[in-house]
Amino acid sequence: MRQDTWLDALAGELRRHGVAEQTAGNVLAETAAHLWESGDDPLRAFGPPEAYAATVADSVRVDAPRRGPAGPVRLEVAGISKRYGRRTVLRAVNLTVRAGEVAAVVGANGSGKSTFLGICAGLVSPDRGEVRVHGSLGYCPQGGGTSDFLVPDEHFTLVGAGRGLSRARARDDGRAGAAALDWDPRGGTQARHLSGGTRQKLNLVMAGLGDPDVLLLDEPYQGFDQGSYLDFWQQVRRWRDAGKAIVVVTHLLNTRDGVDIVLDLGRHTEERA
Amino acid sequence: MSKTLTVAETALREIARRRGVLAILVLFPLAFYLSRRDAHLGQSIRFVCLGLGWALSTAALFAGSAARAIELRLRLSGYRGHHLWLGRLIALWTVGLLLAAPYFVLIRVDSDNVRYGAIGLIMVLTVAVAAPFGLALSAALPRELEGMLVLLIIVGLQMMMDPAGSASRLLPFWFSREIGTYAVDHTDGGYLTRGLLHAAVCLAALLAVVALASGYRLRQRSHLRFVPRR
Repeated sequence: MRQDTWLDALAGELRRHGVAEQTAGNVLAETAAHLWESGDDPLRAFGPPEAYAATVADSVRVDAPRRGPAGPVRLEVAGISKRYGRRTVLRAVNLTVRAGEVAAVVGANGSGKSTFLGICAGLVSPDRGEVRVHGSLGYCPQGGGTSDFLVPDEHFTLVGAGRGLSRARARDDGRAGAAALDWDPRGGTQARHLSGGTRQKLNLVMAGLGDPDVLLLDEPYQGFDQGSYLDFWQQVRRWRDAGKAIVVVTHLLNTRDGVDIVLDLGRHTEERA
Repeated sequence: MSKTLTVAETALREIARRRGVLAILVLFPLAFYLSRRDAHLGQSIRFVCLGLGWALSTAALFAGSAARAIELRLRLSGYRGHHLWLGRLIALWTVGLLLAAPYFVLIRVDSDNVRYGAIGLIMVLTVAVAAPFGLALSAALPRELEGMLVLLIIVGLQMMMDPAGSASRLLPFWFSREIGTYAVDHTDGGYLTRGLLHAAVCLAALLAVVALASGYRLRQRSHLRFVPRR
């Protein structure tokens, strides 16, 4: 692989991993200098850019600046219980998420993660408990939620109109959200022709349109490749830094994902980082 | 209103891209028309109106079923129930009128000694009733197959039952036969009045079902409260 191609790829991967701009610049400069002096093939010297960026990101993670205190409460879930027939799926679940916090809802298959998020979104009624949302809500379902015969721009326009956005604003915001996930939605491909991962990117962008205060994301990365998965968590961090309260249902919680709260529905515990 | 029109525009785009479905929708009433063309032109005219109703009801049934998943997220994105069902209805009514227009021209060219104004009226009323009928079925029977079977039964009964019998008045397109008789057989205005009244009652009842079903399905659940940002 040519050195400049490899370095470009490394720069992109460092960005995906959330490595600070200055740190990334230093790493790139040192790496380029080494390659220049040694004349080595970058793949032989450092390996694939994705793997090298992951190693760099791990080594500099401790240097990440701490964020300020979380803001006001945006989502309050109190005493939610839900039964399906004789099976109790959720028992007196509580969760409070503030502006600028990310909560991960984890648990084994069938532990009620999606049911819990559906209750938070008001799509499913609980047997007991209540949910209070301070502000507006954005929701990304695990599947569905798109229209087969519409192109991405039309999805943005449709959701944007509900949020009170003009057509141009909805389209531009949608395209910007897609670019953050390394996806160019222009070209008029109908949703039915998108791959599963790209369709989920569309779902995710639609959830964030209109700047909602609370984002409920139900395993939104299904079908994502490793790069898109990292882009997704980068986007979550951007939303968090913008003061959103985010709840992510996941079964792939990585220690590097940096969530503030973990609600384990398998063990019925809530832990704060 | 802009939200309703956005839903209508989007629904029209979706229907326009289903080219196979559109082709079948266009040809479906023609098969009905041709089936009795040689024997009894009046019956052909009645059948083509029923065919229109059947085709549009089916399209509405599938459009309603396909929209269920995205409607939930649109409700969370700021739409109210009536934006969604009314927008979809406007789209279906537009498709229905575009579908009916060539058949009106066909009848105008192919037949004489019928009341063309009444034929046009049947087509407009059929389009008006068929769209909410299909949407009401999709609301009551979320699985498409069940909805389609019920639609088959109702339209089948509509074609087989004696229109003079009182039970047939419970069927949604009874008015079509009644006004059709006025148009083709030049009967007295009582047929027209009864047909108009039946169509108005059916339309009102079906719109009420669609509105209530949509309102219930997309209601804000009592456990969820939105409070202003602090």
